[in-house]
Amino acid sequence: MLKRLQRRLAIGLFLDIWPAWAGAVLIVSGTIALVCRMFFVSASPILPWLWIAPILAAIPVLVVCMRRAYAPQQVAALADWLAGGQGILLTLLEKDDPAWAASPLTEKASRFQLPRFRFKAALTLLVPATLFLAVALMLPQRVPSHPANTVLAQEIASNLTAALVELKKQELITPAEEQKLEEEIERIQKSAEKRVDNSSWEAADALKEKVAAGLAEKQEAVKWAQDSLARYAAAVQAGGPADPRAKASAAELTAALEKLAQSGMMAGASPELKALLKSGKFPTDLAALQQLAMSISDQLGEANGKFAGLGKLGREFGRFNPSEFPLDGPSGPDGDGVPGRGGVNRGRADADLTWGQETARLDKFKSRPLPPGAPRSPDDWAPVVVLPGSPQEAAVLSAQAAARQYAAGAGQSAWRRSLAPRHQSAVKKYFDKDKKDKDK
Amino acid sequence: MIEDTQALLAPDRVAAGQASVARVVNQLRKVIIGKEQVIDEVVTALLARGHVLLEGLPGLGKTELVKALSRLLSLEVRRIQFTPDLLPTDVTGSLILQERDGKRDFVFHAGPIFTNLLLADEINRASPKTQAALLEAMQERRVTTFGVTRPLPAPFFVLATQNPIELEGTYPLPEAQLDRFMFKVDIAGVDQAVLEEILTTRVHGEPPPLEPVLTANDLAELFALVDAVHLPRAVANYIARLVATSHPTSADAPESVKTFVKYGSSPRAAISIGAAARGLALLRGKPNVGFDEVRRVAPAAMAHRLVLDYAARLEGWDGRRVVGALLEGVPEVERGLPRALEAR
Repeated sequence: MLKRLQRRLAIGLFLDIWPAWAGAVLIVSGTIALVCRMFFVSASPILPWLWIAPILAAIPVLVVCMRRAYAPQQVAALADWLAGGQGILLTLLEKDDPAWAASPLTEKASRFQLPRFRFKAALTLLVPATLFLAVALMLPQRVPSHPANTVLAQEIASNLTAALVELKKQELITPAEEQKLEEEIERIQKSAEKRVDNSSWEAADALKEKVAAGLAEKQEAVKWAQDSLARYAAAVQAGGPADPRAKASAAELTAALEKLAQSGMMAGASPELKALLKSGKFPTDLAALQQLAMSISDQLGEANGKFAGLGKLGREFGRFNPSEFPLDGPSGPDGDGVPGRGGVNRGRADADLTWGQETARLDKFKSRPLPPGAPRSPDDWAPVVVLPGSPQEAAVLSAQAAARQYAAGAGQSAWRRSLAPRHQSAVKKYFDKDKKDKDK
Repeated sequence: MIEDTQALLAPDRVAAGQASVARVVNQLRKVIIGKEQVIDEVVTALLARGHVLLEGLPGLGKTELVKALSRLLSLEVRRIQFTPDLLPTDVTGSLILQERDGKRDFVFHAGPIFTNLLLADEINRASPKTQAALLEAMQERRVTTFGVTRPLPAPFFVLATQNPIELEGTYPLPEAQLDRFMFKVDIAGVDQAVLEEILTTRVHGEPPPLEPVLTANDLAELFALVDAVHLPRAVANYIARLVATSHPTSADAPESVKTFVKYGSSPRAAISIGAAARGLALLRGKPNVGFDEVRRVAPAAMAHRLVLDYAARLEGWDGRRVVGALLEGVPEVERGLPRALEAR
């Protein structure tokens, strides 16, 4: 009986302490949940774990209960008190006397009723605390306004940064340009974090266009250099290096290559080519010229390859689509260069048309009858919009009232009309007959 | 600290002691009809070797109770009728000039206090000086006269009576004197049924003849048994808390104590409660004291030791009522049940 009382006392002690702790933990958890609901979006997925906080609180409570556990003397005193205060249980604990342990007095004292639990009183505190946490967890997550700006700003900047990385990868950008672009991207991102509006997207688009324009310029430079090289080679072959056309072509080639060098496209060129470009004296003999042409062709081919690698970037960059500007190759969106096939590069205007690949003739199509039409049924209707409120009817005037209303405004429409000053006197003269009659 | 290594009383010894006491109690109940509680309290105090102050109206059997007790216990009994002109030497004894063999000498003539059972009738009628003559005798069980200290015979009990309504020509007992009484027993009036029984069983009201039921040795054995009754530590703690909280300055004192008590009980009250509870336990045939014995003896042992405030008289509170409130307010066990549990 004493052991049962001791167990019950231990449980009672736990129920004395744990509800208060659990209540406090629930209130703290509820407060944490509220704060997270308001300020910390990222904590939202882990908030349901707060429900285990009261269970975790039981661990220190158990430690406290163990430290505050009822001593055997206290248990015996309580048992004695519950048995009517005879003191025999206490006495037997202090003096283990078998003669009295088996006595009717002890037997009677041992038959006491165990105290009962007051669960309702013990757990009442938990109800409001639990409700508080439940309500706090049920509240919708507040999404602050500035994180949205940040997300959008990051999205804007990520597009630009991806483009920058791609340009850097293809070595189509100089370090100075790269630094300038990075600064621009950072400025756009910071501006967008403060406020996202059309100007943010416009700034990003403007930067993209600026990059696209730079790329187009570089592409033009490459093309110009290729063309110049072809013309120079043709001139040298035709008239020799002393030929004025060859000299002019050499000057043009020098200018084209300088521009290419300025745009950073010659960074990977061989040292000999760089030295040649620096001197501006191109070879005149055929073999050297051929070697130079091959060297420059390699360099330009490499540049073309870089531009071709920007295909993915082109989709991101609105207007600039490298595929629209093929540097060489037989086909493209503007045609394949074959006369008569369309496209801006279809060849010279005086070139002979090529037949055989034209569009199929109309009589090759098979006719297909359309399904018969049917008039719409008058019942086949649906309301377009339902206006609130009932329609207002205009007041129906009697014939006399309508006549009076018309007469009151008759002749005034001319006055209300805006007339040029030079016509007003003529109108007055014509319509103000009553005044004239009176004057007469 | 003295280690309590004494074994519990054997059940047969307790049963024998209880039977002896029961014989006394049963005989007393034949003499004093309808006063079971008074008899129990007086016997309990005697077993604890304490003095008893009986307070009640005249004719309620106070003197008869003492006389019956003396006859049953085979004790020498003397009676002093306290009056205002009673002198201390009338109580303690005095030196008398006596001529013996032609030689005059002072010879001590012992007073009536040199007895086993002293009936101090109407003790509050004597002057404080005479009342004070009892102080040493009651506490230390000895008498000092003319510089010579003489022990009193053992056992020595004082059973004093006083009348609560006759205040003219009386001297209320001082607190020091009251404190020496283990119990103050209030003797209330008797009801109609008791009166009817007295009238039918006694022609002139004289009690039935009594024969001694206990010898001096039996009594000594009973005293030894009472001393051997075990007082558990938790019960001693309860007694200590009861007495400590009877002081209005105690933080745990009930509101009634703080309001109506001027001075609380002395440590002698705690000793008296412990001793009386032992006596009551033996009376009940138990080898130990329990919370219940403490609750039973506390009012008689504490009520007269409390010095009440004037507000108590105005509000109609007496010592017994304050002790009742104290017993209600002080839990028996120092550490009670958890709040989540309740006794059925």
